[in-house]
Amino acid sequence: MTPILTSLRTTLTGYLRYRGREGHYSFLMHRLTGLGTLLFLIIHILDTATVYFFPSLYEHAIALYQSTPFMLGEIGLVFAVIYHGVNGLRISVLDLRLPEKWTIATQRGGVRMTFILSTLMWLPAAGVMMYNMLQHNYGMFGG
Amino acid sequence: MQVTLRIFRYNPEIGRTKPTFDSYNLEVEPTDRILDLMEEVKAYHDGTLSFRRSCAHGVCGSDAMRINGSNKLACKVLVQDVSSPITLEPLLGLRVIKDLIVDMEPFMESYRSILPYMVNDDIPEDGKERLQSPEERARFDDTTKCILCAACTTSCPSFWSNGEYVGPAAIVNAHRFIFDSRDKAASERLEILNQRKGVWACRTAFNCTEACPREIHVTQAIAEVKRAVFSGSLE
Repeated sequence: MTPILTSLRTTLTGYLRYRGREGHYSFLMHRLTGLGTLLFLIIHILDTATVYFFPSLYEHAIALYQSTPFMLGEIGLVFAVIYHGVNGLRISVLDLRLPEKWTIATQRGGVRMTFILSTLMWLPAAGVMMYNMLQHNYGMFGG
Repeated sequence: MQVTLRIFRYNPEIGRTKPTFDSYNLEVEPTDRILDLMEEVKAYHDGTLSFRRSCAHGVCGSDAMRINGSNKLACKVLVQDVSSPITLEPLLGLRVIKDLIVDMEPFMESYRSILPYMVNDDIPEDGKERLQSPEERARFDDTTKCILCAACTTSCPSFWSNGEYVGPAAIVNAHRFIFDSRDKAASERLEILNQRKGVWACRTAFNCTEACPREIHVTQAIAEVKRAVFSGSLE
C-alpha cells in the first residue's frame, strides 16, 4: 500500500474508531463543518460563474437551490458556519490567550457549551428558512 | 467474574499477514489489571502472543495500547473499569511489527529532533552547580513527568494524517527544556517547532491530554510553546 493510502486508512480508522472524549468529537465536527462550508463555497463560485459564461444554466442553478433537498442543505450549512465559527473562536481564545485553561474539565464543558450555543444561534435562522421553504415549496402558511 | 479478551493478532513471520482478532474467555478478579489478563493468556493459552511490558507499574511506558478503542497503559487499567469484551489493539499510526508491538522508531526520531537534553556550556557562577528557584523549577514541573509511552502522540488526529508531525510527546519534552531557566537552547528548539511538522500541526483535538497516563496537561504545554514561538518570549 502506498504511504498516502496507508495514511488515509490510519486517519479514517482513527476518526471513526478511536474512542475519544468530547474533544475528539468536537475535532470531527469542526472538520466536517469546515469541509461542508468549503464544498458549498466551491459550488457557489461555480454557479455564480455561470452568470457570465452560461446565463441559461444560472437560471437552472437558482431553480435547483429552491428545491427542498438544497434548502434543507442550506439550513444545515447555516449550522456548519455557526458551529465552525463559534468553535474556532473558543479554540483561538484558549490557545492564544488562556493556555492554562486547557484542562480536562474546561475542555469537556467548553465543547458542550459550544454545541449548545451554536444550536441556540442556529435555531431562529433554521426556523425562518424552514418556514420559507414550507411556504414556497408546499404552499403552507398561505403560500 | 468472566470476561472476554479480544486481542489484535498479526505475525507475518508465520503467515498471519492479515490482522485478525483472537478471543479468550477468562475467569478474573475485578481488580485485575489488563496486563495481568495478557500475562495469563501468554502463560496458559497462547505463548506466541507478543506485547511489550517492563515495570508493570505505570512508570516505564512500555505497554501503551488501545484498550476498548482509546489509548491507555495496560498496567494501569483495571478490569472493573472497562466493559467486556475487552478489545486490545496496537497503537495507531505506528507500523505494527507483531501483535501489539509497534515500531517506535519514528516516535523516538521525533523525540530526538527537539534536542531532549540540557544545553548549557557556560561555567556555573560558583563553578559547581546551576541554582534554580522553586518558582523556576515549577515552571516546567508538569512536563518532566513524561514516560515516552506514545499514548498521546498516537491518539492525535494530526499525527494519524501526517506521520511527519513531531507529535505531542516531542513537544512536551521540548517544553520541559525550553522553560528550564538553566537551559540555553530554547530559541533553537522553538525554531525546530516553528515548522510545518512542529507545533502548528496541532489542531487542539485534546485526545493527547485525555490519553496521557501521567495526567500531563499536554495541550496546555503545546499552547505555551506556540505562544513562545510567535511572541519570542518565554514569559
